Amino acid sequence: MNEIIRLRDVNKTYDGAVPLHVLRGIDMSVEKGELVSIMGASGSGKSTLLNILGILDNYDSGEYFLDGTLIKNLSENKAAEYRNKLIGFVFQSFNLINYKNAVENVALPLFYQGISRKKRNALAMEQLERMGLADRAHHLPGELSGGQKQRVAIARAMITDPALILADEPTGALDSQTSKDVMKIFRQLNEEEGKTIVIVTHDPGVAAQTNRLIRISDGVIAPDSPGTPEIPQLVISQ
Amino acid sequence: MRLTIFDLENWKEIGATLMRNKTRTFLTGFGIFWGVAMLALLTGGARGGGDMLRRNFAGFATNTAGIIPSNTTMPYKGYQKGRWWQMNLSDVEAIQTAFPELEAVVPTSQRGGQSFRRGKFSYSGQLAGVTADYTKILQPRLYEGRFINEADIQNERKVAVIGKKVAGQLFPDGSSPIGKLVEVGGAPYAVVGVAGDVSEISINGRVDEGVFIPSSTFRRIFGYGDKIDFLMITGKANANLAEILPKIQTQLCRRHDINPSDKGAIWTINIAEQFEQIDKVFLGIDLLAWFIGLSTLIAGVIGIGNIMWVIVKERTQEIGIRRAIGAKPSDIIVQVLSEGIALTLLFGLAGVTFATIILAVMQATTNPADAVSVAHFQMSFKGAVLILSIFVLMGTLAGIIPSLKAMHIKPIEAINSK
Repeated sequence: MNEIIRLRDVNKTYDGAVPLHVLRGIDMSVEKGELVSIMGASGSGKSTLLNILGILDNYDSGEYFLDGTLIKNLSENKAAEYRNKLIGFVFQSFNLINYKNAVENVALPLFYQGISRKKRNALAMEQLERMGLADRAHHLPGELSGGQKQRVAIARAMITDPALILADEPTGALDSQTSKDVMKIFRQLNEEEGKTIVIVTHDPGVAAQTNRLIRISDGVIAPDSPGTPEIPQLVISQ
Repeated sequence: MRLTIFDLENWKEIGATLMRNKTRTFLTGFGIFWGVAMLALLTGGARGGGDMLRRNFAGFATNTAGIIPSNTTMPYKGYQKGRWWQMNLSDVEAIQTAFPELEAVVPTSQRGGQSFRRGKFSYSGQLAGVTADYTKILQPRLYEGRFINEADIQNERKVAVIGKKVAGQLFPDGSSPIGKLVEVGGAPYAVVGVAGDVSEISINGRVDEGVFIPSSTFRRIFGYGDKIDFLMITGKANANLAEILPKIQTQLCRRHDINPSDKGAIWTINIAEQFEQIDKVFLGIDLLAWFIGLSTLIAGVIGIGNIMWVIVKERTQEIGIRRAIGAKPSDIIVQVLSEGIALTLLFGLAGVTFATIILAVMQATTNPADAVSVAHFQMSFKGAVLILSIFVLMGTLAGIIPSLKAMHIKPIEAINSK
């Protein structure tokens, strides 16, 4: 049971004047320790897919197993608990809380686990040190560069030691050099710590640095990029 | 579920959030501070203002009426109209017996333009002969000594209570007049007390400027016999003078052979009725204070509600981020609730404190050391707690509604909202 993510025929329709069938039967899986990218054109449904993977949005039919747990019709409390313990998010626009300094932002997920301020700030400092941001620990997000903000966000995603890191266009707001640095961090986390990472991107350069590419178009996985890992890639990633 | 509201970690988080958002905290806080302070000031101010108005009538029994004889205007039982008549001491006893609901029946006689002398010092003023019951109608303010008592009347003593101003004129060196002799109408009287006006109310001249002697002594000196000039009556708490006065008139008509339908022979002045008018003014002031207070409260609550609403709206994205990293709905609600309570309590208490200081200053400036009664520029502890509770309750409720709404949108939509 090494599957972190398992999707079976997942469908999602947005209601509206004209109902929008965004995901039309997604089948995919991600093994533990994979570094996967999901690519697709604007409107292909890749962001919706990521939101469902991150339990930030629900789906209409099908099944989604996260680390062996069926994620369906969860209560908001359960969803919050899973997001907190199983998933670390990295967003395009960083989504740091602007009035909290770096170490407080990184420590925040642990606050919702009821861990004391002292302990969670110590753990947050460790994460920031790993990201090379120890000297920026008490800076507010506004005082940090884009690359630094994204590294703070990655530290925040890592602090609960989640089973899965989900990144939504993590380099979308960064210049090319900083993008490379951020991707290097993702690769390191994947290679050195065996973190399972799923990155949604429209940048082929980013996708090229992942071990597997899942293409999504018009709400389905493209035929030339199977949603399940192929044997050789599995071997490589191990 | 852990009870975050009792969790020190929660309060540290709240404190950090409020400290980091200084401008927002200050603006919201100032709204709360101002609302609470205004309401508290109004409550305390209305009470103090009322006290100050009432002070003008302090020392006076408001349920009082005066009865004054006048020439008859109708012939009766062989008497021509225009006859002069006077009440006498037996009338006093008869009225006292017939109307037990009266607190006091006080015969009063007075002469103006009397000269009071002590050596080379003199003062001209009003001399009144009074009984000990006089104080039940108008409580004079005693600076020294005592007022006329029953024994003075029984023994027709030649004692006097002199007004403060009279004392100042006759004893310009400031020495105590008690036990000293002053001449009233050429005869020496021993001063037993120095009295003054308690408030702006006076009966036939100010206490400050007159001299009181026992009514019995007064009648003997001026040859009144058992006659009296006029009568003052004051009723017990629930006595209705408007009902009693006509009965007394009837009684007096019978006793003095006056035509019962002669309205001109007996004048009555019902002061109680005039005070009812004043009471209506007080009621009006109270109602106005209540109305303004209620309006202030509503305005304050709407203000806080509005600010809380905007704050939660403004933080939709933050709420989304917090939810994405694991905040449960209850965590968010508790956070908004705690921030609201902390803000309202902190700044509400500051508002109450500010109002208390202002009220204390008002109290100090409107209550000179020799004030006859204290104007209470104060509000009750209960009132302060009530005002605070309402603000805390309404302020947090106003915050809960938008945060509940924020719970209904998906975390991802909250994150993407701007």
